[in-house]
Amino acid sequence: MNNSLKSSVPTDREVILGVLNNSADTLNKLYKAYYAMVLQFILNNNGDEDDAKDVYQEAIIILYNKIREGNFELSSKLKTYIYSVCRRIWLKKLSQNSKKAGSITDYEDVLIVEEDVEEHEEKDLQFVKMQSALDHLGEPCKTIIQDFYIHNLSMQDICEKFGYTNTDNAKTQKYKCLQRLKKIFFQP
Amino acid sequence: MPAKVKENIFSTIIIEMRNDLELDAIIEDYLLGKLNPHETEAFEQLRRNDPAVDHKVVSHKFFLESMEMFASQSRLKEQLNHIHAEIDVESLAADLRPHPSRVIQLWRKHKSAIAVAASFLVLSFVSVYSIQHNSKQEERYRNMSRELSRVKNSTNNLIRTIKSNASSDTPSKSTNPGNFGGTGFAISTNGYILTNLHVINGADSLYVQNNKGESFKVKSIYTDSQNDIAILKISDKNFSHLSSIPYTIKRSTSSIGETVYTLGYPKDDAVLGEGYVSSKNGFIGDTTQYQVSIPVNPGNSGGPLLDDNGNLVGIISGKPDQTEGAAFAIKSKYILEAMRAIPQDSLGANKLSASKKSLLSGLKRTKQIEKIQDYVFMIKVYNN
Repeated sequence: MNNSLKSSVPTDREVILGVLNNSADTLNKLYKAYYAMVLQFILNNNGDEDDAKDVYQEAIIILYNKIREGNFELSSKLKTYIYSVCRRIWLKKLSQNSKKAGSITDYEDVLIVEEDVEEHEEKDLQFVKMQSALDHLGEPCKTIIQDFYIHNLSMQDICEKFGYTNTDNAKTQKYKCLQRLKKIFFQP
Repeated sequence: MPAKVKENIFSTIIIEMRNDLELDAIIEDYLLGKLNPHETEAFEQLRRNDPAVDHKVVSHKFFLESMEMFASQSRLKEQLNHIHAEIDVESLAADLRPHPSRVIQLWRKHKSAIAVAASFLVLSFVSVYSIQHNSKQEERYRNMSRELSRVKNSTNNLIRTIKSNASSDTPSKSTNPGNFGGTGFAISTNGYILTNLHVINGADSLYVQNNKGESFKVKSIYTDSQNDIAILKISDKNFSHLSSIPYTIKRSTSSIGETVYTLGYPKDDAVLGEGYVSSKNGFIGDTTQYQVSIPVNPGNSGGPLLDDNGNLVGIISGKPDQTEGAAFAIKSKYILEAMRAIPQDSLGANKLSASKKSLLSGLKRTKQIEKIQDYVFMIKVYNN
């Protein structure tokens, strides 16, 4: 397992180009390349597998967004960057849960990534807000909205999936849902 | 939605102004650029005229952006979850989680530190070994018993044997001068003498000779091979008791630099050797001995080592064969140990002790020598 993971470690250049080109294969390789490193870090610092998954995915998203925004400068190894971001996120989580952070066992060099992590946290607030708005929306509205906006299904598809007699009905339904969603979303 | 219908809706909106649902749809179409130029113009007109509609457009635009971001993030997360599902987390975690054994945990945590420490240890072992190895080659312990020209003697003996064979009817008394010599000193007034075991080892007969040249036959009472100590007892009728022992035993260990001296018989007359304690340990760190800086010669073995106040610091026992001017002396506490090992009442009332005050204290060296010379004996060893 370990070996197969290591053998497919992509070069840092490969990763950046792949992310910019929206390559699913690159994302796959990237994810598998450094997961073990982060898992080890979290497991040895008061965390479990689920913590490792959350933290690692957050770090990958930060890296992904940074590359997509086009302002990612490769000043260090990607490995070091990912490790540093995960470390920062995990330390924050530990202190939020008032778990003992104590002495953190490190496995890699550490970069200063506070800015990137905080920037991401702000964006994440919006994400969480939308998520909870959707959760409050209830079915079938949630699925209709998700299908339309996230999975990019056409109104025709939605109409068929939910068994509406015609697309206009589906559309009306969608706008009703949207109106409610906006109401929840814009609630202070 | 056919354009005709849309236009109808428009007019409816404009007329009724508030069909929220329809308005939302048009705003979205407008923001997504799905309206045709004509419709766009009409809608922008509406937007300019009605601040409420304009506000709706702005807020919907913000909402759509949030939704777009949410959508892309959700898609990415879904993708990541999909990838994550392909990883065998269980076995990986089992490999990487903190090992129950503390040793392995420590090893993992401090791998590099341990490596450094280990290499340092190896290095120091190597250097210590090489130092010891070197000193082993250099230093050899030489016992300071005097071997009296053995070859010559044995030749003499041989000649004498021939002679006695020739005149067998006139048995001559042996006047053997002794093969080995050393030094010993009295530990009691009734004739107990302490010396090195290696001086008397293998002896057939033993004699001691005082500074006046009188010889007395002695026999070995006690030997301690570990500390190289032997106690002899004068068993000669002619021996008269000594007056009280002038020196005492020093209980505490001596400091480096303390002035010490010894009286011994490297030749037929007593010889004074003076120096200082140069090391708290003896040959290759032997803690039972001091190293002293006193010139000693074969024959000094078993001699008393005294400090300025006449306290017995040790027994001269040997020297390193490469270092000039250094000698080793057995520490005085082993004298006490040896004395305790023999029956206590046999030593009599006036034995050497640690509690009495030394009679030599405060005397000049010459006076001290005068007082102790009656108590230091030459040991003569015969082994034919």
